[in-house]
Amino acid sequence: MSSPTRFLDPVVLSRISSLDLLARTVVDGFISGLHRSPYLGFSVDFAEHRPYTPGDDVRRIDWRVFGRTDRLFVKEFEADTNANLSVLFDVSGSMHYGSGPITKVEYGKYLAACLTYFSRKQRDRVGIVTFDDDIIEYVPPSAKHLEVVLHTIDRIQPCEREGGFELPLNKIAQMLTRRSLLVVISDLYEDPDVIIRALSRLHHKGNDVIVFHLLDPAEVEFPFEEAAQFQDIESGERMPVVPEKLREEYRGHLEAHLDTLKRRMVQNEIDYCFVQTSQPLDHALFEYLSRREQLSRVR
Amino acid sequence: MSLSFLAPIFLAGFALIAIPILVHLTHREKKQPVLFPSLMFLRRVQFRAAKRQRIRHWLLFLMRVTAIALIVAAFARPLLDTSTLGLAVVGQSREVVVLLDRSYSMTYGDRWERATDAAAAVMDGLGPGDRATLVAFADKAEVVTTATADPISWGAAIDRVEPGGGRTQLGPAVQLAGDLLASSELAIRELVLITDFQRSAWDGTDAVRMPGGTQIRAVNVGDSSATNVAVADVVIERSRAGARDQVRISSRVVNPSGAAVTLPVALTLDEETIETQEITVPASGAAVVSFTVQMVPDRVALGRVTVVADDVAADNAFHFVVAPIVPVRILVLTSPAARANDVLYIQEALAIGDDPPYDVQIKRASDFRGDDLDGLDGLILADAPPPQGSNGQAIEGWIRAGGGLLVVLGPRTGPGAWPPEGRALIGGAPGMVVDRLDDRGATLSILSYEHPVFEPFATPRSGDFSVARFLRYREFTPAPDPTGESHRMLVRFDDGGPAMFEHRLGRGKVLVWTGGVANLWNDLPLKPVFLPFIHQVARYLASYSEEPASYTVGQVAHIDEARMAGDEAGEIVIESPAGDRAAVAVGGSIPVVLDQAGFYTARRLAGGTNAGVVVAANPDAREADLAMVSPDEVLLALQADDAASERTETLAASLTVGQKERRQALWWYLLIAAAALLLMESALAHRTADVVR
Repeated sequence: MSSPTRFLDPVVLSRISSLDLLARTVVDGFISGLHRSPYLGFSVDFAEHRPYTPGDDVRRIDWRVFGRTDRLFVKEFEADTNANLSVLFDVSGSMHYGSGPITKVEYGKYLAACLTYFSRKQRDRVGIVTFDDDIIEYVPPSAKHLEVVLHTIDRIQPCEREGGFELPLNKIAQMLTRRSLLVVISDLYEDPDVIIRALSRLHHKGNDVIVFHLLDPAEVEFPFEEAAQFQDIESGERMPVVPEKLREEYRGHLEAHLDTLKRRMVQNEIDYCFVQTSQPLDHALFEYLSRREQLSRVR
Repeated sequence: MSLSFLAPIFLAGFALIAIPILVHLTHREKKQPVLFPSLMFLRRVQFRAAKRQRIRHWLLFLMRVTAIALIVAAFARPLLDTSTLGLAVVGQSREVVVLLDRSYSMTYGDRWERATDAAAAVMDGLGPGDRATLVAFADKAEVVTTATADPISWGAAIDRVEPGGGRTQLGPAVQLAGDLLASSELAIRELVLITDFQRSAWDGTDAVRMPGGTQIRAVNVGDSSATNVAVADVVIERSRAGARDQVRISSRVVNPSGAAVTLPVALTLDEETIETQEITVPASGAAVVSFTVQMVPDRVALGRVTVVADDVAADNAFHFVVAPIVPVRILVLTSPAARANDVLYIQEALAIGDDPPYDVQIKRASDFRGDDLDGLDGLILADAPPPQGSNGQAIEGWIRAGGGLLVVLGPRTGPGAWPPEGRALIGGAPGMVVDRLDDRGATLSILSYEHPVFEPFATPRSGDFSVARFLRYREFTPAPDPTGESHRMLVRFDDGGPAMFEHRLGRGKVLVWTGGVANLWNDLPLKPVFLPFIHQVARYLASYSEEPASYTVGQVAHIDEARMAGDEAGEIVIESPAGDRAAVAVGGSIPVVLDQAGFYTARRLAGGTNAGVVVAANPDAREADLAMVSPDEVLLALQADDAASERTETLAASLTVGQKERRQALWWYLLIAAAALLLMESALAHRTADVVR
């Protein structure tokens, strides 16, 4: 008997060609491993009564209370409001790197597909924005856009364009008119100040932002042994490197970068999740789930 | 000790060690660039790269360098010149030969247990490469197990050895041990001598030396205070007294110890105690006790003289066989014209003998019948022509079956008396009479002393045939001998004429004497040598051999098959005193190796109730003397002059450098180590490469 979490292994998922099937497999398998209801935020549990105010939906008036008290009260239910989920997917050249069986962008595709599928099961509206140094595709959040979103994810092609953060995220901030849950999937090869500034703008517009920082294990460990010319995937710039000479310093710079990002995002109330592409998807899914739960308790 | 190389030129190969050094120092850039997501962090450290080269992968590097060094060293064929280490030149293995005394004196007290314990302990002391050979010895030495280092087979070999009835003789044993050690190629040779060091076992004249460098170790299980009384021998005199035989059995009892003893001596015949006498045997002396017994003629009795039991049981009894008096039957055929005293001298000479006694019968040749040959031991034609017809054929058949015929040529047996059949019978043709009256007679000048007839006369003053004068003799011309083995001239006259000629016919023999029968032609019957000469001729014709009353353990008894009753084609079985039975091949004389004390019986399986032929065997009386010789004296005599170091140096000096190197074969071990290292290197390098990729 296979473990349900087996389908959360990105290497196993890479054998599934259909993103729809992949997302269904992962999410259903993931949910089956939970011991709690998956329909968080979509509960019909009664929360409380509040006095009716003009503008409230008359369908929410509790007529029985009106009959007993002759006053209008509106029933409040938990998570009775559907949320918008927009995946902001960095598809720049650096995201197409992978030292193992799958690349960062592939891992991100699985993650994005799973998140959108999962959110759709929560009756959320889902959309996606792919970008590098500019917006490539934009699918606005909609309850009917799951297929479009998955199709958009599926059509992501490798590109060698340089990534940028500020411009595309500023544009996205302008395009989003409704408060949304924004899931950013990126390797964040950018100056932390630029990243925080762009993300903060999204957050300040009332959006909840979750950042999935994807890195390949080779980017973290830097296990290279032989001296070689290292070439930047995006810029094409080359540089002679003797790995063993600078491995420790590289790791130090990377850790400082990660620490800075994490600290600054916490300061700006942005959820940050560091994910290596060798990790199963449940790590990212749990992160999203906990965030989604917080958001669902809207009264 | 120093290290040298047989092919030092290969040491230049150590330069190859530079290869892994360069490989591990050189950071060779890959031709294909490594794609990396971003050089953002690398740009910050780029200028500090590759300032100083250093060895990478130290473990791999050391393994590769070591492997190359081992291979190069192996090709250079190293060898250790250990001249200062002595035996180490040719290794430290030992060749140990253990001589284990199994004579019957080892049954005294706990000698045998201590001896076997000492032999077993030798295996415990062996190291790797050592080996030991077990040689059990008494009067003969026998290799029990070849060189081995296996404790199990060694223990089994010791268990197989038991004390026998033999006498200790160190000479053959140490000679065998010396041969074994001399043929060993191992460096250290060691002799372990486990014995009770009896003085009788070592006469000091055995010029046996161990090979040079042999270490000799003695394990003395003897005891100088040991005492033993033994029955040394028995003398049997049997004479005919009327209707019974009188047998006088004299036994000698020896006491080698330092105190006189008084003890009973018993005579047993056919398991029945006949008489017991008490005698006193003086210290370091002997006493003789005699028994007189009346026996039925022709009866064979198995006798034993025993003394009271002491710690050495083997020599407390002396076994013997009392054989009946069997005279040798001789038939003398004379010519019908012979005078009465023609064979007087022969008749009188044979009548004197009692060892064996002769039963001489004289008969006219014309009265001879074939039945006369039944039971006959010897036939003499005393100047008589051979019987003709069926009688002649009977004689020929009797001779071919093993009979003996003496033909005396005289005045009546000229050429005309010998038809072709007769000449074929004697292997030649008699001729005319040779008259030597003019030169005072002929003498016997050339005698074959190696022939059984003349063997007793070989030594000086043992009989002088040259004093006899032969005034006449008859010529004799031997027939051609197609095989070259059936004719033999035993005696010639001084003129070269044949005096005595032997013709082998089948299994029998014909002797032709040309000098006449009586003292008519010669005066030999008047000479002292005549009597023993006639006795020897009669013994030879009868194929007589005296059967001893007993043998000594270690001897070989030859049992004549003809003495056994039963079917001639039946299988013959020898039964030892211990009851072991062994079938032997039928035919002629049967050799029986006597290695136990007691009675050996040979009989045909188809012999019915016949008791067969019995021979007695007794331990060597010399073994009864438990007096010891100093072990140091023996060891000193066995020790070679040179010392172990000298042998080693000689051996080392005799070896060429190539031979030394081949003995050590260090290159083989180096190559094995290099191969193992390379295998580990391959696995480690593969694993490292996986990590790098």
